Amino acid sequence: MMARLTGNTRGCRPMAGALLILALGLAAAPAWAQQTSSGTQSTQDDWGDDDWGDDPWASEQTGWQWYGFVEGAAAARLHNDPAVDEDYTLAETRLQIEGERLVGDYTATIKGDVWLDGVEDGGRGDLREANLQGRLTDAIDIEAGRQILTWGTGDLVFLNDLFPKDYVSFFSGRNDEYLKAPSDAIKLSFYGDANLDVVYMPRGEANRFITGERLSYFSPRRGAVTAAPPAIDPDERDDWLDDSELALRLYQTVDGVEYAGYAFHGYDKQPSAVDPATGTPYFPRLSVLGASIRRPAAGGIANAETAYYFADDSGGDDPNRPNEQWRFLFGYEHEPLADLTLGWQYYLEWTQDHDALIDATPADQRRYAPDEYRHLLTNRVTWQLLRQDLTISLFSFFSPSDADYFFRPRAEYRFSDRLTGTIGGNVFGGEDPWTFHTQLQDNSNAYARIRYNF
Amino acid sequence: MKKRLVMHLGLVLLALGHAGVAAAAMEDARAIVERANVASYYAGDDGRSAARMLIEDGNGNRQQRQFTLLRKDVSDGGDQRYLVVFSRPADIRGTVFRVEKHVGADDDRWLYLPALDLVKRIAAGDKRTSFVGSHFFYEDISGRGLDEDNHRLVETTDTHYIIESTPKAPDEVAFARYRTWIDRESFLPMKTEYQRQSGEVYRRMEVTRVETIDGYPTGTEVRMSDLDSGGYTITQFRFSQYDVGLPDDIFSERSLRNPPRRWLRRSE
Repeated sequence: MMARLTGNTRGCRPMAGALLILALGLAAAPAWAQQTSSGTQSTQDDWGDDDWGDDPWASEQTGWQWYGFVEGAAAARLHNDPAVDEDYTLAETRLQIEGERLVGDYTATIKGDVWLDGVEDGGRGDLREANLQGRLTDAIDIEAGRQILTWGTGDLVFLNDLFPKDYVSFFSGRNDEYLKAPSDAIKLSFYGDANLDVVYMPRGEANRFITGERLSYFSPRRGAVTAAPPAIDPDERDDWLDDSELALRLYQTVDGVEYAGYAFHGYDKQPSAVDPATGTPYFPRLSVLGASIRRPAAGGIANAETAYYFADDSGGDDPNRPNEQWRFLFGYEHEPLADLTLGWQYYLEWTQDHDALIDATPADQRRYAPDEYRHLLTNRVTWQLLRQDLTISLFSFFSPSDADYFFRPRAEYRFSDRLTGTIGGNVFGGEDPWTFHTQLQDNSNAYARIRYNF
Repeated sequence: MKKRLVMHLGLVLLALGHAGVAAAAMEDARAIVERANVASYYAGDDGRSAARMLIEDGNGNRQQRQFTLLRKDVSDGGDQRYLVVFSRPADIRGTVFRVEKHVGADDDRWLYLPALDLVKRIAAGDKRTSFVGSHFFYEDISGRGLDEDNHRLVETTDTHYIIESTPKAPDEVAFARYRTWIDRESFLPMKTEYQRQSGEVYRRMEVTRVETIDGYPTGTEVRMSDLDSGGYTITQFRFSQYDVGLPDDIFSERSLRNPPRRWLRRSE
């Protein structure tokens, strides 16, 4: 259970070019000041009669088009965490640059972040996208390179989406977009009577899970909430081709009803297994088959999704490896009042060989083993005000079987087309310190972010 | 006999005269709003247009939106398919909105968020909420169902039909009634004023520029004013083209992730 959250953060390595962020951040500052002091003036200039030329969709572009933002973000811990010697889960100045250009009929995209990190002390960088996308034939699209991949019907709950997630960013106060970590992949999309996506990842990318470096977690071996050092350092699955992964989606929409089938063959995204000889965590083999349906119902949108997780441990009697699980999700989203949206989800993880697992688990570890049925309820409330300039939302996770919760309140305000401010929190709690959300209790935080787009 | 002939001749002349100058005055409010609906939302079998919005709130703060709109009619006055691809501002660039408009039933709506590679399906919900933060509602962009109101012709001027529409379900809308000035020649609704119960006008749509494109009179500049706050949005359409020959299959999930550049490109 614990292992699902924990691990290292690959891809956020210190960068010599961290000074760049300072330089660019400073360069952007005067523009920011100008925008806030005379925002209407500059917008008015943009509205010049001949200013239609820069729509990348409408006209042929030559050369690179550049976009980006500068963001300052800080998240203060709500409690003193005895395991971590930091008062913040997030303290950073970030620059994102995105470039796009047409190459024949294809689009090349490059998107990268650099930031100065006050929690991990130093410059960091992350290449989020570097890919070529386009139409191979009338019926086939291709996207090759580093890309963000998403599918499935859940809202912040993933069953058949086995693409890498960044839970460290998600829990520590960064923007939701950072929950999705990039994959190095070739995606082929075939369109016909049914549509098929084939995603081949020559080297599977794991989640950016909790290692103990920024966020603390519960260690069943120590029987306590713990943090780095030492950071969790599993055996990497980083051999090109040998550690490849394959994900498939077959889907079609018929009369407004979306049907999809999924398959995945690769590795668990979390280091959920432990080598009993060395005590080193690793990413066990994982294959998943699933299906989903999404359709309008009673004025809202209803969805159902299921996935069967074929584990490495088919007998289910090895506590060092994850058990097989059958997962289910039912969701419904509706808008009971104008500008107010409610989303509801029920999610079930059903451990298949639970008796065998418990029998094989040492007595002192049994209470940390997963329940046979883990139930999770979620609710999302989104309220848009001031003609959508202000969005107030609350996402709540509550597990009756784990007796724990996770609340994500947020308010986001668009000061202008360029400037957006966000405040919010990540609040964890519950009864037993070893459950999914309760173990993060001391990482509860309140954050503020301000972003200037250019 | 002679008298009858003269009368016939008179009718023919009258008809010819109207055909040349303006259509014969119509008296059936329902027929007028049907023609106005087709004139404003169903020109040609399909259409493409670049659009931009200037949004100014009551305090003078301005925002902009820019997008390309593709539309294909399933049938005139009936179901339609829309694809809206945003290019500005920076934080919504690459967002794609797809609508399957169903007359007399809930629309199917999808939104693609590129940063997450997420295809989000949107509940049908209230169509009288802001379209991308502007003073226009979703309903103003794709048309309000004709059957949702009772329509009455209150006046016919030299140039316009004035229609008063009263909602059949008054609890679901903020207005008590609205009046529309429909051009007798082009059948374009040139002005709509939304009233409170007291008769006070609180919201106004005005077409401030009309151009004839591919034979279809088209409102190419439209202003929506919120008279309570003093805020307004001006929408301009440019590079509009009708009967482009848009294929059905571009209105699909494929176009959300990989917008159909060939069909989005404006004709110079």
